[in-house]
Amino acid sequence: MATSEAMDMTAAEVAPDSKTRRYDRQLRLWAASGQSALENSRLLVISASATSTSVLKNLVLPGIGHFTILDPATVTPRDAGNNFFLEGQSSIGKSRAGEAVRLLAELNEGVEGKADTSSLEQILDNNPGYFASFTLVIAHNLEPKLLERLSTLLWADDTLPILVAVNSAGFLGEFHIQFHEHTIIDSHSETAPSLRIDKAFPALADYAASLDFKNMDPTDHTHVPYVIILVRALADWKAAHDGKPPQTTAEKKQFKEGVLAMKVKIDEENFDEAEAQAYRCWTETRVPSEITALFQDPQLSNLSPTSPPFFHLLDALRKFTLQPPHTLPLTSTLPDMKANTTSYIHLQKLYKTRAEEEKATFKSLLTVPIDDATVDTFVKNAHGLKVLRGKKYGSLNTDPAALASAVESSPKATAIHLAISALATVSPPQTTVEALTAAAQALLPPGFELPEEFSDAVGEVFVLVILVSRVTMLRTFLSARSPTADLPNSAAFLGGLVAQEVIKMITKQYVPIDGYCVVDLVETWTGMV
Amino acid sequence: MAAADWQDRYYDIDQILDTPGPRTDPAFLAGDGVKDFLRNQAKILVIGAGGLGCEILANLALTGFKDIHVIDMDTIDISNLNRQFLFRQKDVGQPKATVAAEFIMKRVPGCKVTPYFGKIQDKDDDYYMQFNLVICGLDSVEARRWMSATLVNLVDPENPESLKPLIDGGTEGFKGQARVILPTITSCYECSLDMLNKQTVFPICTIANTPRLPEHCIEWASVLEWPRVHGDKPKDTDDPEHIGWLYTVAAARAKEFNIEGVTWALTQGVVKNIIPAIASTNAIIAASCCNEAFKIATSSAAYLNNYFMLIGTDGVYSYTFEHEKRDDCPVCGGEALDLSISAELTVEEFIDLLIERQDIQIKKPSLSTPTAQIYFQSPPQLEEATRPNLKKKVKELVPQDGEVTVTSTSLPFSLSLRISYT
Repeated sequence: MATSEAMDMTAAEVAPDSKTRRYDRQLRLWAASGQSALENSRLLVISASATSTSVLKNLVLPGIGHFTILDPATVTPRDAGNNFFLEGQSSIGKSRAGEAVRLLAELNEGVEGKADTSSLEQILDNNPGYFASFTLVIAHNLEPKLLERLSTLLWADDTLPILVAVNSAGFLGEFHIQFHEHTIIDSHSETAPSLRIDKAFPALADYAASLDFKNMDPTDHTHVPYVIILVRALADWKAAHDGKPPQTTAEKKQFKEGVLAMKVKIDEENFDEAEAQAYRCWTETRVPSEITALFQDPQLSNLSPTSPPFFHLLDALRKFTLQPPHTLPLTSTLPDMKANTTSYIHLQKLYKTRAEEEKATFKSLLTVPIDDATVDTFVKNAHGLKVLRGKKYGSLNTDPAALASAVESSPKATAIHLAISALATVSPPQTTVEALTAAAQALLPPGFELPEEFSDAVGEVFVLVILVSRVTMLRTFLSARSPTADLPNSAAFLGGLVAQEVIKMITKQYVPIDGYCVVDLVETWTGMV
Repeated sequence: MAAADWQDRYYDIDQILDTPGPRTDPAFLAGDGVKDFLRNQAKILVIGAGGLGCEILANLALTGFKDIHVIDMDTIDISNLNRQFLFRQKDVGQPKATVAAEFIMKRVPGCKVTPYFGKIQDKDDDYYMQFNLVICGLDSVEARRWMSATLVNLVDPENPESLKPLIDGGTEGFKGQARVILPTITSCYECSLDMLNKQTVFPICTIANTPRLPEHCIEWASVLEWPRVHGDKPKDTDDPEHIGWLYTVAAARAKEFNIEGVTWALTQGVVKNIIPAIASTNAIIAASCCNEAFKIATSSAAYLNNYFMLIGTDGVYSYTFEHEKRDDCPVCGGEALDLSISAELTVEEFIDLLIERQDIQIKKPSLSTPTAQIYFQSPPQLEEATRPNLKKKVKELVPQDGEVTVTSTSLPFSLSLRISYT
């Protein structure tokens, strides 16, 4: 819990307020900082399709700040049948945005919803500044030409909102997040930071050296934490081996036997734990390669006072790692281990004190003022930092070589991406399997074969296209692009996936997708292109 | 067409039901027959009206299932409102099943949802026999085991209607899974028990003597101090006053031992074993469950074979695979589980061993051989009569390759073990 450290335990904490209680199950994932990012976000959703309202439902519930639905359409009988955020027949003929906003806003009083019945095309023509006030824009099954215009507009300036483009047809779907740069301090990495047993800091080394294992009270002996046992055993080993840790398999075995030989009773579990963790003595604590790679980031070579704080922190980290012991700053998080209260708390205190010292060193390397809470989070999560660089929507489809390599590395997923892309380029009256296949083929380098799975994927899309296009011609009020079946289950599935990624983008916690995420709900799998 | 249906109501779905796709089973009969089955005949049971249940009910109703039953024993709590989207503030305290059913019927006209506010164990085989399909959206391992075992036991090889596909979903934070179980044919819930994460159990001696973590202090307050101070008064983890008491006691103990980090939220999390839960993950998993139900009910596309696992913490990672049936599954395997134990093991130690086993997961087991009782947890007279056996060696009571039947109130089946000695 992020709040735990700030909490003064002597003050009787009162029961949480109703907002904290309402959000309890999600605060356990993204804490108050993530929640506040959500509450400050403003989302624009283009069209109130079943998929769009499914996405929004999953964002209104956890409490985004504001959403606007942009949709000039009125509710058709078809909409009323497949969208949970329309009220059956009574919604037919009313504004689709208006009805959806009304029913979505009911889910959470803390969220502001707005319906805008303007046309996207007119906004793009006359009011391109419209988008600047939003954090993120989500577009579902948008007409390809408009999507291209929108993505180009939003890509032009990195202060403009992130674009999430979602396309679906029947059991198939895909989505892409367009962003320039996304930095993550708290990626909720599942790897634990190093305890630095191999590079024990002075207070830890001194404490381990000071213990008299041979004459220790037997109860205390059973409660020496494995960290201390290993630091001591390693120091003793190095003293006898020219300052080198165990290196060969035989030496490692000998070291482990030595650890077990320190037992005074057979059932001392702390020594068993030390033996099991002995590898930490010869696995050198270094700066993880993923983090070293970040030090090459162009933002660091061009660092200026106006650079984002993340890169100032990253630069301070780089400088920190140049100093001995060439590691990331120590974190005070200690895993549980066999020990009694006194010995564990003492060890914890050693780590805490050292972590504070290293944090002070880290702070002294910062060249701009950054608040303590951010510095704390950064240092604590330094082993899981991420910098993602996104691509413009559609850029993959203009790069035949990249598409060809995607076909080779993930044929199934790329087949779906190609089928959906082909569907966007072929206009309804000409939509045949041959036309779709030709359109997909045209995206690939000359002579490069479509993946075997393409015929399944295009067939899945095609059966819908044929039926839909026939009806489309009869109903001129429908948009020029052939609509595709928006199945309630596919809409709900995509709605969940997209909302999850949007939450990660807004909170800057956890790691969002990089590329296209494709979905096949016939065989039920997801993949990345 | 039913009265509540309107022209084009199922426009999107009918695109699927009117035409086979490239991967559709050749047996699929596109057109009115399948629509009639889905909309007028199919009867589906949803277990749980919580995070997954709300989503499942909405999806089923929109796809055209019109006779849905739902069972849930819980009432609505304020902490449900961040994801259980059929409930509002005013519904807090009301039964989930009832409120959810009413909401769906109002929002999706013509769909009949029959709620039952109670336990799945209240219902008998005849009740379960009436459904074509069962979808579980539960957070309890025990309830899932019960449901899975009940549907396996329901299968009568002479009667194809007795095989009820079970679709099971579960979530935790950004992760989840959905699976299709064809009882007796594919891997059942019990077959995969060893895939569950082992629950953290804090040893009593740590809690009592050597606390190190804030969790140890909270467990001390909950497991040791509550009964000592309050006697038989039951602890209600939904009562803020009770949580408040536990928090205060735990915080005082933490202070005494210089342990940091006891908070109200952590106290509640530990004593209620809270699993983080969000709308988006539930939406993905529930959609997956309902999509399988739709495909099975209509044969419009192949269904999941048989396990879909999603991890959304680092990108979107999913893994779809066939979980294998276990021949020695105590529910659907039909074979006894071989267990090799030390000849020195006492019955008491044997019971502890069973409780520890990840693939068995049993609480308070009672043991017998085909000819004699070994140890029974209840009734009290029988417990007393068999108690002396606890100190005996298993070998004194069970011959080499002998069979032991294990039963427990938490299990809807008995487990057969074949014992050998090392």
